[in-house]
Amino acid sequence: MSMLRKAVTVAAVTTLTAFGVAACGGGSDSGGGGGSGGELNVTMTSFPDYVDPQLSYTTEGWEVLYNVYTPLLTYKHAKENAGAEIVPGLAKDLPQVSPDGKTYKLTLRSNMKYSDGTPIKASDFTYAIQRLFKADSGGSVFFEPIVGATDYADGKADKIAGITTDDNTGDITIQLTEPNGTFNDLLGLPFSAPVPPTTPLDKDATNSPPPSSGAFKISAVDAPRSLTMERNPQFKTLTDAGVSNLPEAQVDKITVTQNKSNSAQVTGIEQNTIDFMHDPPDADRLPEVKAKFAERFRMEESINTYYFFMNTQTAPFNDLRVRQAVNYAIDPEALNRVFGGRLHPTQQILPPGMPGYEEYKLYPGPDMNKAKALIAEANPTDRDITVWTDDEPDRKRIGEYYHDLLTQLGFNATLKVIAGDVYWTTIGNLSTPDLDTGFADWFQDFPHPDDFFRPLLNGKNILPTNGNNFSKVAIPALDAKQNELLKQLIGDGGVAEQYSALDKSYMEQAVWAPYGNEEFTTFTSDRVDFGKAYRHILFSQDYSALSLK
Amino acid sequence: MVASIGELEAPGEPPLPTGVSAEEIRGRSPWYLAWLRMRRNRVGLAFGVLFLLIVLACLAAPLWADHVAHTGPNENHITDKILIDGQETYVVSPDGTPVGPGLHGRYLLGADQNGRDVMVRLLYGGRTSIYIGVVAAVVTTVFAVLVGLLCGYYRGWIDAILSRVMDVVWAFPVLLLGIALGTALALGGLKIGALVVAGDSLWIPILIIGLVYVPYMARPIRGEILALREKEFVEAAVAQGKGSLRIMFSELLPNVVSTIIVFFTLNIANNMLLESSLSFLGAGVRAPNASWGTMIADGYQTIYTAPHLTIVPGLLIVLTVLSLNVFGDGLRDALDPRAKIRLEH
Repeated sequence: MSMLRKAVTVAAVTTLTAFGVAACGGGSDSGGGGGSGGELNVTMTSFPDYVDPQLSYTTEGWEVLYNVYTPLLTYKHAKENAGAEIVPGLAKDLPQVSPDGKTYKLTLRSNMKYSDGTPIKASDFTYAIQRLFKADSGGSVFFEPIVGATDYADGKADKIAGITTDDNTGDITIQLTEPNGTFNDLLGLPFSAPVPPTTPLDKDATNSPPPSSGAFKISAVDAPRSLTMERNPQFKTLTDAGVSNLPEAQVDKITVTQNKSNSAQVTGIEQNTIDFMHDPPDADRLPEVKAKFAERFRMEESINTYYFFMNTQTAPFNDLRVRQAVNYAIDPEALNRVFGGRLHPTQQILPPGMPGYEEYKLYPGPDMNKAKALIAEANPTDRDITVWTDDEPDRKRIGEYYHDLLTQLGFNATLKVIAGDVYWTTIGNLSTPDLDTGFADWFQDFPHPDDFFRPLLNGKNILPTNGNNFSKVAIPALDAKQNELLKQLIGDGGVAEQYSALDKSYMEQAVWAPYGNEEFTTFTSDRVDFGKAYRHILFSQDYSALSLK
Repeated sequence: MVASIGELEAPGEPPLPTGVSAEEIRGRSPWYLAWLRMRRNRVGLAFGVLFLLIVLACLAAPLWADHVAHTGPNENHITDKILIDGQETYVVSPDGTPVGPGLHGRYLLGADQNGRDVMVRLLYGGRTSIYIGVVAAVVTTVFAVLVGLLCGYYRGWIDAILSRVMDVVWAFPVLLLGIALGTALALGGLKIGALVVAGDSLWIPILIIGLVYVPYMARPIRGEILALREKEFVEAAVAQGKGSLRIMFSELLPNVVSTIIVFFTLNIANNMLLESSLSFLGAGVRAPNASWGTMIADGYQTIYTAPHLTIVPGLLIVLTVLSLNVFGDGLRDALDPRAKIRLEH
């Protein structure tokens, strides 16, 4: 072979190798159908953390599980604030609460079956709560007020004394150690959805999810690549039992696929090979999508807070001045541009739309001079820090921005970018080394400010695994204030204001560096009936409302 | 033409060709002859020069960063403004669109979505990619030469064990092995006794790439050593009472140097390709550090709106690997025109 021919051959092979590896992604044609029925392709940049109602605690997971596992109570399948209304799910009615607020009585509807034909029993609720504790769920902290729950979690009891059930009558009685203003909300979360006792008690059931009690069942899981949802064949047993708040599935099958390329997802929707993407289009494609596909794209309000966590228990972030310096240094407008203009700047814990939200700003900035002065004053001896973020494009960019910021402040920062589908379980695991600081966000689980304090900032939620208190915040006085407020209803006079003050108290300690509230999007293919699709205020896109034209 | 007896310079010496002096012949060492052959290979030389130019440009990255771009490779300038055609322009516009390429010293190739100068990152990324390619090739060469010498010289059980280990490494697809090792070492780094390498250190991809290619170089060297070991000069060395180490390093090794040089050159190219692939897949160079592979990975996310962010580092990989391969082929032809060595994968 001549030298020139060799050169050309090598060039061709090299080009293919260099670019060929980028040729993954894309979508596939899906079958269609008019009106009710057909199949949909949904993509997510990160796969759900768990396909398990007791363990899942991400927006991706809850979007899938909302229409698969129905708790005793549920959140109404409705747009905007109507979706925050708690209504009966598998229970016949809302609970009867004793005058002292400590006893909740519910009755399970009769003759309901899971998707595999197994009868749904009242004791399955107890089993679900037991799983929360034995499988170290991040949601277990919400259910600790049940009498005997902590003893069960600690292995001191073999059952939770505060829950009694009768499988014959369907009666369920829950006793709390003290009144809890959010307990109805908690009973509507996937955490407490009944599952049959064949589900592993202390293990993740992602690879073989329990049978469903909603409009869809999970028919296949290939984590972290894809999962398939199909109509629940036993759904009629639910409606026959009187469940009226669960809409029927509009399509026969939904395939949820992980696709790491946001841009490929956008193109897939434009070309109708993907029907819906969980994540908003990336900043570089957003203007094009807004301009060209206005008839099937809209911005959606979402109640969330984006922040950087800082480990308050180890150097250098155990020094208040260092944490304050970070708050002064951050430029929310820069981060807004990373999000393509979808991030409203903030510097507080509670987001707009959440009861108790009252705007304030303790660390006006960005003020690098002030930040550097604070760092100089603190003069931390340990300047080697690890910055954590996940590999979703905007989050990786946020991490790179934050890494640069900390470098400018004089730290020797190392950036760790890990896969989005294992990010939360990694940083929520106490045994992970070097959990100094990094990206975090929080989307409301239920419309109550306690949801932004208890799981994220309460000292009791520093858990060995699946924790969400990434800053390792444990301030006894503020924990006590949370507990005191929880005994009251949010509508009681002055409670919302006290939550606002609690917000400010935490930020005076600069436990986080919050920087924005993200707007979400709904972007569908041309095949989808866009008018019916909507983003639920708690559970992201409501799959039961997705239908083909 | 055959020289007559009268033309002989000295009795007992072989005859010289007509018109060629003994002085000319004495001056031509094997390396000189190789250089003469290499000099005739214009294409090979041209690509060698091209590689040298790319290396020089990448080495000059700090000069460009300090005196032209006035920014480092990892510095974010999201809300900064620059002057373009006398107008102040955001490096990243409020809707998140970064400034594009243009004939302005700063941001010659535009900015990425973090407001970083792509030209600066490209030059620094080149340093990283070439550095990894070269150092990993040194790692491969050191291990491969040791393994090749030990197996080829001692044979027997040493050869059997080491060759099977090489077979096992060879049996793994290189890219998958690299990804597996890169991912496993990303979080906790590498800790073997006193040897501690941080998860984000460039030594992680260097060691991974360097080690996975050892069998590809060790096996041909072993083959050559096995053949050379039977030669008379080795028997003579043994008869003179030379030790095994001395025979290996002073008698056998010099005879496989040309093979090693050719493999080393070709190995750099393969290493750079593997580094790019690993970095693209998130198992090589760690963010925010730039390499051409990480730049393709970052640019791939915006390939529809800013294709140059992918194409430019991709083209540089192509040019560098191409130049090394063609130059390496030329070296092989020059050093040992009869050899049939190939670095295949």
